[in-house]
Amino acid sequence: MNHSIETENLSLWYGDFQALIDVSVKIPDGQITSLIGPSGCGKTTLLRCFNRVNERYGNVTTEGKIEILGKNIYDPDVSLPELRKAVGMVFQRPNPLPISVYENILFGLRIHSPMRSITRTESDQIVEEALTSVFLWEDLKDKLKVRATSLQLEQQQKLCIARLLPLKPKIILMDEPCSALDAKGTLAVEELMEILAGTYTFLIVTHNMAQARRVSEECIFMFLGELIEHRETQALFEDPKHEKTADYVQMRYG
Amino acid sequence: MNLYKNFYVMNAMSTRAERKQKIVLPSTPFFTLGIAAGIAVIPISNALKKTDATNIQVVSPNALSMLLNDLYIVLSVSLLAILLGIVCAFYLEEWLPKTNWVRRFIESHVAVLTGIPSVLYGILAISIFLSYAGTLKVINGAPAAQDTGARPFQRHTTLFLGEGLIFILMVMPVTIKTTQEALRSVATPVREAAYALGASQWQVLTRHVVPIAFTRMLAAGCRAMARAFATAALLIGTYIWHYTAETDGMSSRFLLFLGAALFLSVCSSTLVEIHASIYNSDSA
Repeated sequence: MNHSIETENLSLWYGDFQALIDVSVKIPDGQITSLIGPSGCGKTTLLRCFNRVNERYGNVTTEGKIEILGKNIYDPDVSLPELRKAVGMVFQRPNPLPISVYENILFGLRIHSPMRSITRTESDQIVEEALTSVFLWEDLKDKLKVRATSLQLEQQQKLCIARLLPLKPKIILMDEPCSALDAKGTLAVEELMEILAGTYTFLIVTHNMAQARRVSEECIFMFLGELIEHRETQALFEDPKHEKTADYVQMRYG
Repeated sequence: MNLYKNFYVMNAMSTRAERKQKIVLPSTPFFTLGIAAGIAVIPISNALKKTDATNIQVVSPNALSMLLNDLYIVLSVSLLAILLGIVCAFYLEEWLPKTNWVRRFIESHVAVLTGIPSVLYGILAISIFLSYAGTLKVINGAPAAQDTGARPFQRHTTLFLGEGLIFILMVMPVTIKTTQEALRSVATPVREAAYALGASQWQVLTRHVVPIAFTRMLAAGCRAMARAFATAALLIGTYIWHYTAETDGMSSRFLLFLGAALFLSVCSSTLVEIHASIYNSDSA
């Protein structure tokens, strides 16, 4: 089995607070892996390490190694735009850019290609493909010029996924993608993930254990910055090896 | 546990370094502006001594050229100050981290300077005018009766460079503060989204932050200009009351400047409202 993300003894500090302690993890290719654990345990921090958006906050120190697609992303020759092109991210609250639906989808492509290199027909086709693959084309084909922030939340979140696709990412990171959505929206996004899973590697942070159980093939449990257990979802939920995992998945706290 | 120890220290505000962060830096304007006010006493007391102001002799060119001269000074000085202020605001907000001491030092001063009512700046400007206008005349030599044309430092307008500096002091903090607010109004999720797609800082600024913040930046400029015009009107008004012989075109200039101030402040508030109606309505 190939691994698209591998970390070795990854530690991370915000100032002098250690948020990640010696995390070593291997995330398999082309599957959905979920990260669970109580609030403040470092799930989101770990996720944000993988496309280095953490560094923007300043005051962050990282030690250890993260290999994505076989390349250490902390090497000095790594280009951040290229890394973020390969590793897309979907945020907790849908955050479409306050421009039209059409331009939202093309934004990633436009910043990664020379000015005016995309023709009109190409861009039309790209937008249609991206929207079709997230099942929004039927709903939005007449609303392409509408400002994306005025859509329904569920559509916004799907759009946030759709705008990653033209960049052809290998990995999609999701930080509680359904926490702002209702049950129907959650179901729609989950179905979408399952359909896309073969093509992309998904890593999803979730507070919703039922969701982790439904969608993911492997599951990682974290507690206070440490990786406690990483196994197949079914096994982790039904037969947790570690006491803390057992307490958490059986909802004794958290 | 490591976690709890840190939480405790963060809330306790006990270390020396944190006292410095939380109290010393924000209170620096108290001292620096205190010293500045001390220096400002000199022109003000000078001005009080010369209430008759007999040593100020005014050459009277035609009203139109005086008006143009005033406008020229107010516009050029405030545009310069606005430009500098916007550059400064971008640097503070987008490049320096929040905890940087330079940023905190400037921001605390800006906060105090914007809080000072513009009348006080006006009084300072008038004092400088009354104290040094005569002196400049003496430096230039020639008796007033023979003054007909313009010379450098010739006092033939109500406003001159000393007052220009006061305008910069008055306009720049307002611009910095309102531009910073404009930049901050561009929500973090927008920036995050763009960064996560691989945009560079420059791309995020030029494609998202500036277009969104532009209306509010324009409003910032208008507001700062309004302040400059209002103070200029105050100066001209004082001038009218002091030198009744020189009223040709004065009251119309006074009214024009007041009108400009009013117009610009209405523009500024309208632009802020427009910005809000564009970007806040669809977040529901």
